[in-house]
Amino acid sequence: RIWLVWAVVLLSYLVPYTLLSGVALWYGSFLFWAVAGLVVIALNVFITKDFEEHSN
Amino acid sequence: MTESLIWWSIAIYLLIAIGIAIMSRQGPSESMSGYFLGNRQMNGFVSALSYSATTYSAFMMVGLAGLTYAGGVGALGFEIIYFAGVSLVAIFGPKFWAVGKKFGFVTPSEMLGHRYNSKHVAMAVSIASCIFLIPYSAVQLAGVGYLLQGITDGAITFTTGVVLATVIAIFFSYIAGIRSVMWTDSLQAIMMIVASTLVAFLVIQGLGGFGALFNTLATEHPQSLTVPGPGLFSFVTFLGLTIPWFFFSLSNPQVSQRLFMPSSLRSMRHMLIGFLVFGFIYTMVSVLWGFSALAAFPSLERADLATPTLLASEFVPPVLGVIVMIGIMAAAVSTIDSIMLTLASMVSRDVYANVKPNVSEKRQLLVGKFVVPVIALMALAFAELQLDLIAVLSVAASSGLVAMVPALIGAFYWKRGTSAGALASVVGTSAFVLLMYATGNSLLGLPAGVWGIVVASVLFVGVSLATKPHQASTDAFFTAISEELGKKRRPIADQANKRAAASL
Repeated sequence: RIWLVWAVVLLSYLVPYTLLSGVALWYGSFLFWAVAGLVVIALNVFITKDFEEHSN
Repeated sequence: MTESLIWWSIAIYLLIAIGIAIMSRQGPSESMSGYFLGNRQMNGFVSALSYSATTYSAFMMVGLAGLTYAGGVGALGFEIIYFAGVSLVAIFGPKFWAVGKKFGFVTPSEMLGHRYNSKHVAMAVSIASCIFLIPYSAVQLAGVGYLLQGITDGAITFTTGVVLATVIAIFFSYIAGIRSVMWTDSLQAIMMIVASTLVAFLVIQGLGGFGALFNTLATEHPQSLTVPGPGLFSFVTFLGLTIPWFFFSLSNPQVSQRLFMPSSLRSMRHMLIGFLVFGFIYTMVSVLWGFSALAAFPSLERADLATPTLLASEFVPPVLGVIVMIGIMAAAVSTIDSIMLTLASMVSRDVYANVKPNVSEKRQLLVGKFVVPVIALMALAFAELQLDLIAVLSVAASSGLVAMVPALIGAFYWKRGTSAGALASVVGTSAFVLLMYATGNSLLGLPAGVWGIVVASVLFVGVSLATKPHQASTDAFFTAISEELGKKRRPIADQANKRAAASL
């Protein structure tokens, strides 16, 4: 089972400085970055699922 | 907040923490792996809390809240990009763990020295880590001194605060090495996440709720909700801050060493996910503190007064304020004691044992234990002296440690990487970053945070292509990874059948 995480990082650089640069409300950059954080957690849960299958 | 309430609270915290540290002991640690890695048997829950406490220093509650106060929502973006960078553990973690288990590595620098078949690489990485991380620890200690002095109106002096934090850090390290550090880290992490979330909740309620807080910000401080915001987070500054921190989980030895410690990859997964959940909550709470301070106290003299002002305000009951204050002190201690242990293991394993070959494991451990207080006292002296050079080295730490990143990535993904390339990258980039910070931190309009990774990559790739790799050590390294990570857990039915057959 990472490029999706790097895509979220890239969007975290681009979107707040372009599309959201004029949105001075809580659902602007604040919400965008908060959702980005939650997406990163979800992707890590998915990507590391096969750590469970490894034998010691 | 009376002085006696603060001292009593510190005493109660210390009693609980020392009790936990003593209970964490599992007999005397006779080996480097036992003392510095917990015998590679740490479970996921404690690893997650300790990783969080080590990573999130006193900077979060004071610095990030202040950064939000001064620069607005860009501070959240900075933390989220760092946070996403910890996902590097999902791809590098198993490889670190596999070679650590196979070859018995204690430090990340030892691993690089083995991979590139060069003790000079191991020594260079260790020395560069000390150059950047001891001043970083000193600034952490100074932060504790200023915090205690500020909150008690000078009743607890700067020196008392700094000495107190140093003594606690040495004590936690000595009781049982990494085990006592990780268990006291866990206490600090739980205490801090609960208390800080409660403070955020009470303050936001006091300001009329989440909607009212953001309405106030939107009407009175609209720039705080956008980037570049009030001007602090220009895109170039944002890049310069975030690029080094994106690689934090690989570049900082006190956290990359943690990748050797979990008892299994399952524990490592729990460590990573536990850290991400903790980190997300902690980040949101710190940013909301900064926003709340901006809404409630918009004309503070300095941004780093945001947290002390909030804690001393009518929104926060004095007892909760003291708990958070001790939590901030403990956050600094939990970062410093981990750095001390990691640097001590590197000095002992990668400098002393390379200068004096064939030295016994017991002797290495003795040297490591001797180096712990030496590093602590150096940090204490630097904190007391408040030299400009120390402040520069501390600020340069995140950019300077990026020097290790190309050599680390190359260790796992590029067989053509050579010891000369790794050495040139580590030494050259460290010197380059220090030079940039000493001369104004701007080259062609870009800061060292951006240039560091570029220079390190160019040096590593360029010099490696001009020299020959050590084939035998490279092959052994890559074979160990594929063998160790190829082991699959058998289905439960298979395990039961095997046990039944064994009992016949």
